[in-house]
Amino acid sequence: MTAFGASLRYEFRMQVRKRSVWIVPALTLVLFVLIGGSLLRDLFDPGERPLDPRTGVVGLAVQLHALLAIGFGCLLADRLVRDDRLGVAPILDATPASPAARLLGKYLGAAAATAVPIALAYFGFAAAYAIDIGQPVAMAWALAAFAVVIVPGLLLVAAFALAVPMIMPAPLFRVLFVGYWLWGNIVSPEMMPTLARTLFHPLGGYPLDVLFDFHGIDGEDTWAGPVAGATLNVLRPDPTPALALLSIVLLLIVSAAALAGGHVLRARRIR
Amino acid sequence: MRPITLWRYEARRTGWAAVLGPPLAVALGIAAALAYPEPSDTTTARILLGGLEMAVPLAAAVVCSTLIGQDPAREVQLTVPTPYRITLLRRMIVVLSWTAAVAVLAAAVLIVTGWWARWPQNHGAFAGQLTWLAPMLGLSGLGFAAGAVLRSPAAAGAIVTTVWAIQQFFADAVQEHLPGRLLYLFATTRGAATDDWLANRLVLVGAGAVLVALALILLGRPERLISEEDE
Repeated sequence: MTAFGASLRYEFRMQVRKRSVWIVPALTLVLFVLIGGSLLRDLFDPGERPLDPRTGVVGLAVQLHALLAIGFGCLLADRLVRDDRLGVAPILDATPASPAARLLGKYLGAAAATAVPIALAYFGFAAAYAIDIGQPVAMAWALAAFAVVIVPGLLLVAAFALAVPMIMPAPLFRVLFVGYWLWGNIVSPEMMPTLARTLFHPLGGYPLDVLFDFHGIDGEDTWAGPVAGATLNVLRPDPTPALALLSIVLLLIVSAAALAGGHVLRARRIR
Repeated sequence: MRPITLWRYEARRTGWAAVLGPPLAVALGIAAALAYPEPSDTTTARILLGGLEMAVPLAAAVVCSTLIGQDPAREVQLTVPTPYRITLLRRMIVVLSWTAAVAVLAAAVLIVTGWWARWPQNHGAFAGQLTWLAPMLGLSGLGFAAGAVLRSPAAAGAIVTTVWAIQQFFADAVQEHLPGRLLYLFATTRGAATDDWLANRLVLVGAGAVLVALALILLGRPERLISEEDE
């Protein structure tokens, strides 16, 4: 078995058995249901839910992604530094297994395990909605939205959550991460310079706009493209399918760069 | 051991995140206010006060959520005459005192420069300090209690940041009902009903105190502290 495969399997199994990986998203969903106005309730209200099943499940993807990614990032923030704290890292470094392969296995294994509750919640609610409205096609849209919008965003969050605590304490990373998540995803570009609605948008503005024709639950929001009077419009070209693809590739490239940075920092420390 | 030595030790145990978090939060709030492309006095003042109400309490609360579970040898802590929960409470007091010092200094600068008064719902220079104090105590109490229940800094930090983010993302929906308005963290700068402000602030302070008390009760059971934790 390769070092990559072994560490992926081990990290996945270790992480998926952690109680907190399940408790945090569960509590988030409870809070989410308790407050009004979320799609978790509205999707099952014939008077409130969108008529188009695609809008329904894509809107659900946006809301769950925006919220559950925060717990996802915070839970992953101690994964890499933990090996040093527990004294496991020097033992693993003494093995012939390549550090890069181990890091990649840890990244994908821990991220996949932490994403399991998110996937279960999303597909669970989407399936219930598809049954409720009698439109199985909603599940196909849900699968597409998960692959194109949620997965790239989570891969980006996981890469930074592993790498950044190498250069700052994990609690500080959590504070800065949630601040960034709000600023870079939700803050309106008219209010202050922000990366929201640019090509680098972890919530997936360009794919949402072009590939899913999604313009908010009520069809009145803009998720990509230039915003009148906003700064950084140079990063907001008019949406096209090629730019949607580029936006996804950009998230993956930055994820890889963050992970490579983490790898270099670790390699320097053990030298 | 002299008290000052003891407090200095506890301050060191709280870590760099406790030291850097609050000033960084204030700096980010100021940066956000300066970045506004079409500045109007009211909006800039709102963002400046928003930094105090939103960023500063978050920095304190996330650190408080990591206090439990950081000592590598808790068994040793449990053998000393001072109960471990008192040690943890002492560290929490250190974190909150430092955060309060930074926040008071920032608020004083805003008051002297006139920015404080430019936000209409500032509630004065004295009672207005509840702008940062109430959410700091409420959210930090939540973080400390979550740490005591879960004994996992990652999970407790995740709960604090998620509650903070939900109140940001769904500000209107959260404040549709009275319980939501009373527990809303950002009532000064994003509040729906001005009349509820003082009640909201006092409820947040009370909620923080109740949560800390609950955490101390839980921490009084040493077997919880030395059993397997969610590492």
